[in-house]
Amino acid sequence: MKTEAGEVQLEVTGITKRYRREGKPHLVLDGVSLKVRQGEFVTLLGPSGSGKSTLFRIIGGVELPDEGEVAIGGRIATGERGLISYMPQQASLFPWMTVRRNISSALEIAGVPRREAQASADLWLGRIGLSDVAGEYPDALSGGMQQRVSFLRALLMPRGVMCLDEPFAALDALTRAEMQRWLLQLWEAERRSVLFVTHSIEEALTLSDRIYVLSSPPARVLREIAVPFARPRRGDVWKDPVFAELKQEIMDLLGRGNPHAV
Amino acid sequence: MAGKRAWEKIWPPASAILAVLLVWEAACRLGMADPWVLPAPSAIAGKLIEDADLIVRHVLATLGLAAGGVGLGLACGVAVAVILHLMPAFRAAVTPILLASQNVPIVALGPLLMIWFGFGLTPKLILLTLVCFFPIAWSMLTGLGQSEPHLREYLAMIGASRRDILLKLELPASLPYLFAGLKISVTYSVLAAMFAEWLGASRGIGYYLFIRFKGFDITSVFAAVICIIALCFLLYSLAAALEKRVIYWRRPSRRAGAGELK
Repeated sequence: MKTEAGEVQLEVTGITKRYRREGKPHLVLDGVSLKVRQGEFVTLLGPSGSGKSTLFRIIGGVELPDEGEVAIGGRIATGERGLISYMPQQASLFPWMTVRRNISSALEIAGVPRREAQASADLWLGRIGLSDVAGEYPDALSGGMQQRVSFLRALLMPRGVMCLDEPFAALDALTRAEMQRWLLQLWEAERRSVLFVTHSIEEALTLSDRIYVLSSPPARVLREIAVPFARPRRGDVWKDPVFAELKQEIMDLLGRGNPHAV
Repeated sequence: MAGKRAWEKIWPPASAILAVLLVWEAACRLGMADPWVLPAPSAIAGKLIEDADLIVRHVLATLGLAAGGVGLGLACGVAVAVILHLMPAFRAAVTPILLASQNVPIVALGPLLMIWFGFGLTPKLILLTLVCFFPIAWSMLTGLGQSEPHLREYLAMIGASRRDILLKLELPASLPYLFAGLKISVTYSVLAAMFAEWLGASRGIGYYLFIRFKGFDITSVFAAVICIIALCFLLYSLAAALEKRVIYWRRPSRRAGAGELK
């Protein structure tokens, strides 16, 4: 997993995917290409139903593209599983495992020895202030806490790329803002390569280094935007006038692709 | 608080049973039924006390046979469910045979097993295993395929092996189904054990009932029926208690209003 800063961790080239719907081929992804460099936070921003999750499944190796390639850590890995870590929209914690076990068992799946996985889970739960609930079952946790555990589980997996699929979409607005600040802080200390999916423009601008704006289906990359705000990023970066300009730019972009978007 | 709630659950069925017994007793005392046709509850109770030593020995013999059958049925049921789940083609091939095996009437199967395996314990255990394994296998097989789709998706995305999916997701998720099957099996087991004893045995409550019936000792027959019902209740309660212990992650908070029977 040792890679130089700036080296490309994930490269997706010309991905095209069609589904058959009512007997007719239905284009979902139309030649999508993107890159995530080592230690970079990249966001895929697009309207709901624009095939972002399909792209994730292709990157995870769960689905095969009709055309195009996925390279992870500099190696072609189209259709290959077990190379990414993943945080889904629903926390997806296992109800029969304690919080600690949920994390350590995922690490074991990624090949971490059991004792090491448990030590790592305990260490990090302590670090994010969740030692108290380490022995609890997920049911006892609030939605926000479950998502923290889910994020930690993804963060600790020894994999080159973290894929975060709208992780905060199911949370209420206040919890969501709090979670964004929390994630920002944790990520800026760790600097993992992240591919993040959202349909919230503010979320994308607050968190990312770069944003790929996707069109409404079939998804194409409309524009690649480098987010100019400094790191560590302030939680109130939305007060910056450039933030409003970029937001306007993205809204225009999405509006042109689809007059009903956003 | 808990004691009060338990009492609220107990008193309606308890008073209904008491009312039935009172009407029954009154009818017998008023001479509305001959004692050799319908003995009074007090007479049955008297018989239970009078024959206590003998009845306890017979009940324990039946309990042992039923427990052996449930144990073997559980082992076979779980094994069959897992094998069929892991091999869908095999499952499709043997499902009709499996269903047919459950339609062979036990009144035909019992004597056949006696002819093939003699009058010892073997044919009885085979009969009980055949009766007990099916509800467990069938119910668990359903459970193995019913685990939460988002947990399945998570495991696929992080590249979990087939073994990990079985051990960390499918088996724990199927446990509630396993217990639903087990609760049916334990009830069947007592009746099947009784039937096996009826066919050929020198002990057991089924044997006791058979002998007393031949002697037109109707009070003893009723006493045996009471014992059999009690035995069914006992085994069912044991299975339910075991379920509560094993499925520890299901919190009362989550079950509130879920329409539980017990």
